[in-house]
Amino acid sequence: MGGPCEVLVETEHEHEARQVAEAVCAAAARIESKYSRYLPDNIVARINSGMGAPTTVDDETANLLDFAAQVHQLSEGLFDITSGVLRRAWTFDGSGRVPRPEDIAALLPMVGWSKARWVRPTLTLLPGMQIDFGGIAKEYAVDQAAQAAASVSASAVLVNFGGDLAVTRARHGDQAWRVGIEGIDAHEGAAARLVDLSAGALATSGDTYRYIKSGGHRLPHILDPRSGWPVSDAPRTVTVAAPSCTQAGTLSTLAMLKGAGAEAFLESEGVRFWIQRDPAGS
Amino acid sequence: MANNDTKIGAALTAATCGLLGIAPSTSVASDAAPAWDVDSAFLYYGESDGRVQDLSLSAHATRDFGDERTLGLDVSVDSLTGASPNGAIASDGPQTFTSPSGRKTYDTPAGDIPLDESFLDTRFAVNGNWSQPLARLYTISAGLGFSSEYDYQHIGANVGLTRDFNQRNTTLSFALAYANDTIKPVGGLPLPLAQMGDAVGEDQSPANRAGDSDSKNVLDVLLGVTQVLGRHSVLRVNLSYSDSSGYLTDPYKILSVVDPVTGEPIARTPAPGTSGPVNVYLFENRPDSRRKEALYAELRHDFSGKVLQVGYRYSTDDWDVDSHTLESRLRLPFGESSYLEPHVRYYQQTAASFYRYSLANLAPAPEFASADARLSDMSAVTVGLKYGRETAGGNEWNARLEFYQQKAKAPGEFLIGNQVGNTQMPDFNAVILQFGYHFKL
Repeated sequence: MGGPCEVLVETEHEHEARQVAEAVCAAAARIESKYSRYLPDNIVARINSGMGAPTTVDDETANLLDFAAQVHQLSEGLFDITSGVLRRAWTFDGSGRVPRPEDIAALLPMVGWSKARWVRPTLTLLPGMQIDFGGIAKEYAVDQAAQAAASVSASAVLVNFGGDLAVTRARHGDQAWRVGIEGIDAHEGAAARLVDLSAGALATSGDTYRYIKSGGHRLPHILDPRSGWPVSDAPRTVTVAAPSCTQAGTLSTLAMLKGAGAEAFLESEGVRFWIQRDPAGS
Repeated sequence: MANNDTKIGAALTAATCGLLGIAPSTSVASDAAPAWDVDSAFLYYGESDGRVQDLSLSAHATRDFGDERTLGLDVSVDSLTGASPNGAIASDGPQTFTSPSGRKTYDTPAGDIPLDESFLDTRFAVNGNWSQPLARLYTISAGLGFSSEYDYQHIGANVGLTRDFNQRNTTLSFALAYANDTIKPVGGLPLPLAQMGDAVGEDQSPANRAGDSDSKNVLDVLLGVTQVLGRHSVLRVNLSYSDSSGYLTDPYKILSVVDPVTGEPIARTPAPGTSGPVNVYLFENRPDSRRKEALYAELRHDFSGKVLQVGYRYSTDDWDVDSHTLESRLRLPFGESSYLEPHVRYYQQTAASFYRYSLANLAPAPEFASADARLSDMSAVTVGLKYGRETAGGNEWNARLEFYQQKAKAPGEFLIGNQVGNTQMPDFNAVILQFGYHFKL
């Protein structure tokens, strides 16, 4: 899941804790193997190697594609599961390598959900196009794992996959789970903010470590799929609270893509959010 | 361009429900308010035979500011009443003493250990401590403390540094504390080993006094290691050094002067028209420095929920007081949210080099002498039981009952004549009853 995964169970019974951990691990492992873009023979690999031929997908994948299509439409193209192709030009490893405009222009014809043909249960991509569930699979896995945990245990459970997390209920005595949001410049393990979470989920977009340095500027790794270039004035991190981790993750990703408008966007959505930006002038 | 004002929330919720196949639930998230975690306690301490009684109210509050930054505050109020031994020996005849103020007298019946009944005090203390990470693996802390009694003021400061090693399985700690205490005894500071005089009137100064107040400074240094030993055990070892200098004498304690052959008190006669002691008593005097070194080792082991704690402390100082303390607690959880915790403690010390049961008349005067039983060859045993219960809201009630027994003995070489086989040490029993409530604010 690209980060430390943990599950916290409030119980005195080891047997129950093991059951929950097994249920969570099973859900996580299933989704990771099914939707990781790094594995050679899963559904994502089959779609991406279609070379323009239609691929018929299972129900769960169809649900994810329906969701991606709806969010693409709601965000007027900002959220796009086909934007991963742009990574061929952009390497966000902290180096100063910025691609030439013509490299980006050459990739843009293979980017854009509207160029795909999705008629449930069949997806057809243009040759060279690829999809990537990286923007939602982890949050979806958190929700699935939390559901799996709730189905085997009535105790309070917190599922945390690399900072995206959901709780099944408040802790004993109606106490909230206390969650730290990692600070952008803090030392290892330090929390910049503490959030009390009694229900629902938190998701964070942005990454402290992935960026490109260009002319003294730090270009974030969040790319606008419509232009192929990094979003300007994007926050360093956006954390959103929502009823589900999938919703929280979608909203935090969209907020990153709004750049300078991240705060205004989340305020108009009426959700709780925490945004960290670089100090002015840095 | 996307219109930033378009709300997508409802449509997104619907899309999410379609994906997850469940009805939308709610989100309850808020900025965590840094909460106070408070340990409060009411304590009664009562010694047998109407001696010292202490009623104490205390609270220890910590506030977590996140990022491992914590503030700790301690507040306590103690009300002490009762009588304490003044250091004089029991005698076949009634004894009269001048009170610490030098203006009144009090009597002790024949055969009784003399107790000063005027012991009454209210003590107020506050401490503050801040702790935060200094760098990766380093934590720094600093604190200030203050306490006040009618005849005693204490001000202290401390700093500490800890460093984690070995994937945080080993912690080294270093701490320094410095205190400055001012003592202002009722009736003034007695001259060292000066004789207790007759009671004087309001317009006169008590005899044999040297000024109003004095002070002492205490430096404490601590070096500690905490080592995690596997999943169920933690070992802690501390080495400490303490250096006290200044006025270390107890201004209210005296010694009986006795006949060098019989060991019986030497009689005196108060001046005509005054009341005063009918025997000779000298105010005690202690060295003006004390250096103490101590080693402490504690092992905690978790026997699947039952936690055993065993600690041993050895202390030695340049007053020749060497002590051993052995202490153990066992926490036994039972039921849904209760525990019982038996506690035993054994303490033993050797006498200070200047401890005397009494002073022989006409013998060369020692430079230092004290008959304080706390500096004698003594041992003490504590046994107790604590019961605690967690409430549904995560708070905890607890009650603790302990019995304490102290026994001292006067070393044979200090006993004179009839005192041999006839000593009476101010031994006592005490009971400790405490109610505690742990809660969050």
